[in-house]
Amino acid sequence: MSATLPLANSLHRATFDMLRRQAPFAAMGEDAVLWLVQRLSVAYFARDAVLLEPADAPPDTLFIIKQGTVSGATADGQTVLQLAAGEMFPLGALLAGRGAANRYVAATDTFCYLLSATDFHALLGESVEFHDFCTRRIASLLEESQRAVQAEYALALDDDSRFARPLASLIRRAPLATRAGTPLAAALGAMEAARVGSVVVTDEAGQPIGILTLKDVLARVTLAGVPLATPIADVMTPQPATLSADAPVADALVLMARQGIHHVPLVRDGRLVGVVSEKDVFALRRLSVEGITAAISRNEDPVRLPALAQDIGDLVHSLLAQGMDAENLTAIISSLNDRLTERLITLECAGDEALAGLRWCWLALGSEGRMEQTLATDQDNALIFAATDDAQRAALLAMARRVNHRLDACGFPLCRGGIMASNPKWCLSLTGWQQQFTQWIDHGSPEALLHASIFFDFRPLAGDESLALDLRAWLNHAAQKNPRFLHQMAGNALRNRPPLGVMRDFVLSDNDAHPHTIDLKLNGATPFVDAARIFALAAGSPQTNTAKRLREAAHALHIPDAELADWNRAFHFLQLLRLRHQHGQQRAGQTPDNHIDPDTLNPLDRRILKEALRQARKVQARLAMDYKL
Amino acid sequence: MIWPFDRPALPQLDAASDARRSALGRQAFDLKQPLADMRWCVADVETGGLDAQRDPLLAIGAVAIEHGRIALDATLEVGLAQVQSTAAANILIHGISGSEQRAGQVPHEALLSWLEFAQGAPRVAFHAAFDQTVLQRAEREQLGWSVTAPWFDAAIVAALLFPDAAPHCRHLDDWLAHFGIAVYARHGALADAYATAELWLVLLQAAQRENLATAHQLRGLLRARRWLSAH
Repeated sequence: MSATLPLANSLHRATFDMLRRQAPFAAMGEDAVLWLVQRLSVAYFARDAVLLEPADAPPDTLFIIKQGTVSGATADGQTVLQLAAGEMFPLGALLAGRGAANRYVAATDTFCYLLSATDFHALLGESVEFHDFCTRRIASLLEESQRAVQAEYALALDDDSRFARPLASLIRRAPLATRAGTPLAAALGAMEAARVGSVVVTDEAGQPIGILTLKDVLARVTLAGVPLATPIADVMTPQPATLSADAPVADALVLMARQGIHHVPLVRDGRLVGVVSEKDVFALRRLSVEGITAAISRNEDPVRLPALAQDIGDLVHSLLAQGMDAENLTAIISSLNDRLTERLITLECAGDEALAGLRWCWLALGSEGRMEQTLATDQDNALIFAATDDAQRAALLAMARRVNHRLDACGFPLCRGGIMASNPKWCLSLTGWQQQFTQWIDHGSPEALLHASIFFDFRPLAGDESLALDLRAWLNHAAQKNPRFLHQMAGNALRNRPPLGVMRDFVLSDNDAHPHTIDLKLNGATPFVDAARIFALAAGSPQTNTAKRLREAAHALHIPDAELADWNRAFHFLQLLRLRHQHGQQRAGQTPDNHIDPDTLNPLDRRILKEALRQARKVQARLAMDYKL
Repeated sequence: MIWPFDRPALPQLDAASDARRSALGRQAFDLKQPLADMRWCVADVETGGLDAQRDPLLAIGAVAIEHGRIALDATLEVGLAQVQSTAAANILIHGISGSEQRAGQVPHEALLSWLEFAQGAPRVAFHAAFDQTVLQRAEREQLGWSVTAPWFDAAIVAALLFPDAAPHCRHLDDWLAHFGIAVYARHGALADAYATAELWLVLLQAAQRENLATAHQLRGLLRARRWLSAH
């Protein structure tokens, strides 16, 4: 460093090095940072000291926190933000040349670097990186985070590490096992039913003593003319090669290649715990949206769909690695899940005579309705049908029940609140739905508002979509002529405040089940989703997707493009954080959820998370203004 | 009147240095300004040993506080060229290698830079007596004259304003740790001067909370306390 800064003394160099460790100075040219260093001064603020008062005149100083914490409060004393070391303020006021809106107070003993407004503007002109950072704060932080994530996932994607995964991670079902005395007929029948290529023969301790694969059957049973009543032990391969379930995938590759076998029983403490096939190992290789879509549409057997659902999860990992943004990623997850659900419905309806000629439409609700599914998604669906008799309605409910259970097997748990098409309450005719919606709109109770927030994001998924479109047109009309209802929805939405803390950066949950966490869905994404829904209903828009709703609303409500872009970036960052978190949990064998401990995030992501929650407040402020709340 | 004794001759300086020395002249220190508006000069020296009367001055670091802020552009970091480098043992304390020591400025120019930097400002140092003695001795040796400036000892002021912490805090490091102030490079003259300056910012705030409005009042209180503890 000293080579590039020949004239700098040790204090300038040390300040330079310290600034360069954080955004945006890390990305700026050395000359610009050195120029900045020589124009900084350092001030101390004891706890509770006021750094900046709201004023009419533009501020004359930029503050960069060196150490300590500063909180910002609105004129009415409500603390709205908490800034930590490395953060700068008041950027908005300095950029716009207006008075600061907030009062900034030292929350702890704090040292700040100060830069005069004149020098701040000079630096904006001098450094493209600094200008970018200040004007597109959240965007540039996100880009930096995205690069870090890509690097991290790229490592995980590397073939070496993929094949270093334990074999246990490939186990997708309980192994098909039988005893030595089982007649071939029963064993082969079980293989056919389970659609697997092998059956393992175990002793009473559960240890594998033999294996029979479909390939063996041709030579040893069919061509040899062995009667199907023969015990399996007579034709099985005795003492098959096995591997520990904890051995790396690479070991199976080697063993299969060396012995020319396609199935390896996996054991733990000698007992059979699973079987991997060559197909399982090579399935790791390539996953694509087209491949999975094609596999789903080719599939004729609902039993195989859960494996494809798992492929969707694996694809998400690879897309995260490629740095795909959350908007596209959640849209891809939703559309693949759509295809899967559609296929399930098609397969379940195919053999059902009672459904012939009926007009109905399967509705996706909630996050699926908005095309914003993450990996922790339980089912939210419903049915709408044209006039039917009781028997036909019973047939629809029976079909829905089968689909709901198939979806459950695919990793979309049954909805605990019973919001599923198989629930007679949510399997209604067009008039039935209109009555239900009217009741919610007129009633405005907390329960009605909660239902509205789930059901009003409905979207046709399979069947006759004109039924759903009619309902949408009717709903938009009904909501628009009911300002009181929208006002109640807005009031309800504002009750859920983003968890930015007064004493700490974040307000953490005191919930025993998830201590020291924040709920990224409820407290992070939901404020955006709720506001977007209200904007869309007020505007009579048929959109159900949050980003699209916000884009449409911004146009109608004259929200500046830059602000809209920040809202959507913030929303998608929260979605991305959820996806990354859930994906990590899935890989660790945990049930995915939305509870994240901010302390586990790197400093950059923490800052972006705070910024994203701040944007959530801005969206809410807009809602509050529109509805005078 | 004829001066009865030989006036000690001022060391011969080149013309430019002589002009600089003359320009420093008599200095006035206004200690009755509000504390918050004062200009302070916070200093630290590195020497070839711990004997203030004898060991050579190796480097001076100083930062200025104006209106309660440390300006990063106005900082002084100057080494004094040594005829012979000092014993290896002290290099271990200060981490200045022999070649760095010899590479400093000509001593009288270094001291002129220091006096110009500090001009008109009361001095602050941690364990100030040592820095004061070393600097005044070097000024006399090199320039034949020294400035009589008020010195404030951050160690004594800290103990006065934070009596509860004082028993656990003897060294600069202790006080820095107490207030959570980080030092970028310990035992560098400028690094220590800067850390002391951050400490001084904390102490100035505390002094104002104690209703001490001027440096004059602060000095009065320090003298009273010294009298009390000495008797």
